Amino acid sequence: MPSLRDAQLGFAAALAGDATAQATLFGADARVTARLAIYRGNGRANYRNALAATFPVVLRLVGAPFFHAAVDAFVAAQPSIAGDLNLYGDRFGAFLTTYGPAIALPYLPDIARLEWAIDEANRAADVPHVPDAVLAALAVAPPERLPEARLVLDPSCRLVVSPYPLLRIWRANQADRDGDEPIALDEGGGALLVRRDPPGVVLVPLAAGDAAWLAALANGDALGVAIDAALAADVAFDLGATLRSHIAEGTIVAIAA
Amino acid sequence: MTSTSRPLPAAAGIGLRAPHVRDVLAARPAVAWFEVHSENYFADGGPALATLDRVRADYPLSLHGVGLSLGSTDPLDRAHLAKLKRLIARVEPGLVSEHLCWSGVAGRHYNDLLPLPYTEEALDHVCARVARVQDTLGCELAVENVSSYVAFADATIPEWEFVAMLARRTGCRLLLDVNNVYVNATNHGFDADAYVAALPADAVHEYHLAGFEETSAGLVDTHGAPVAPDVWRLYARTVAALGPRPTLIEWDTDLPAFAVLQGEAAKAQAFLEAGDAVAA
Repeated sequence: MPSLRDAQLGFAAALAGDATAQATLFGADARVTARLAIYRGNGRANYRNALAATFPVVLRLVGAPFFHAAVDAFVAAQPSIAGDLNLYGDRFGAFLTTYGPAIALPYLPDIARLEWAIDEANRAADVPHVPDAVLAALAVAPPERLPEARLVLDPSCRLVVSPYPLLRIWRANQADRDGDEPIALDEGGGALLVRRDPPGVVLVPLAAGDAAWLAALANGDALGVAIDAALAADVAFDLGATLRSHIAEGTIVAIAA
Repeated sequence: MTSTSRPLPAAAGIGLRAPHVRDVLAARPAVAWFEVHSENYFADGGPALATLDRVRADYPLSLHGVGLSLGSTDPLDRAHLAKLKRLIARVEPGLVSEHLCWSGVAGRHYNDLLPLPYTEEALDHVCARVARVQDTLGCELAVENVSSYVAFADATIPEWEFVAMLARRTGCRLLLDVNNVYVNATNHGFDADAYVAALPADAVHEYHLAGFEETSAGLVDTHGAPVAPDVWRLYARTVAALGPRPTLIEWDTDLPAFAVLQGEAAKAQAFLEAGDAVAA
């Protein structure tokens, strides 16, 4: 009698096709091979369905047979490590950059990263949005201390940067669109801010300075460092206007002491 | 459960899935209670959790976990348990359930409900894990029997005795999935009624009903079809043997219109009321 540990390791091996492990655990019953295939089929379907729900635009861009093959390859290369299937998929975008059949679709990994960012934004913590309180805190802060201030972003905020026109690709492939709109891949990319804006999530295209500024803030950098990063990206960066709009829209929700 | 939780009535409830949530909140259909998959509400915040609050405001709610991997020999996932505990505190469910299975080993998850070898060692292991989970959550857990397609050659305990002993040793509750009993009885060749008769009635707090698919390899528990006639008959005999309990219609793949689930729930309700009439 194998130990429980060995039985579970053996089951895993049998699922992977190890005939010796299968015979040790389940005997010579001729039906076992077909029965284990039921588990393999259930597993495949679980991952395909879960990722289809998280990556609907990737699915629409490539179609179900391609998508299912990509998910199967992803699961084989980077198996799930958590019981909560909703957490599986964070590395799907990175995987697609290495997935041979997707090489001809260079924008696909970035669309996957965008969809994962949307998924994360939908699961982020709820924090109060009180723009007037943030503005008031800014107003009373001593000006000489402002460069050291740390602006706190809403927990849902994610930045997705791509050389491809992600927003147009994403919009053209929503369920209510026919997906046939011509989009030139070289028409220009940039940075998108993903942020929850109840009831949904919004995708906001950012100018280069704004993107560099928010990326620094998201990294935990002080305001002064973020301004330097913004000016390095765009000499015309307008701090006052950018700050006011992000406070008003709820990107920035607090100033840390 | 907690002081303000609403207990599940001994009536037919429906497994609430994402595509139906909006319509349910808009129409507030007459459903006795709802059950959701716990992991789908493990988020820190956001719209899904907000809609669950609204469902919970109007209906008794049951939390049904699919990913704790209760029977695994890997360590319990503390972060997973902490999220479940946080969700329990938020929605104050009438019942919290998990599966009598394992889902991963050596760090790899299969995100599936894999069967245990029914041995003394496995029983000791699961009993200890159930006790730890109940201690951590601060509430009783209901444990559900799973469908299975293979049986371990060295198993020493019939599944029904394993389930009954788990309840007796840990004081945990049982969630009896009648469809899974039928599927396993067919796949492994045992008497479904003997299974039901072996269970301590007091421990059984909920029934599940779902549809299976018949394949050349055996019955597959797909949750993608109406409850089969034989399973309705087994359910009627189960209600007669163990008593009426909250009964859930589960449907996960090829999800139909909500009205189809309401039709299945109405059938379950009729069986529950017929059982009551027999008892009275």
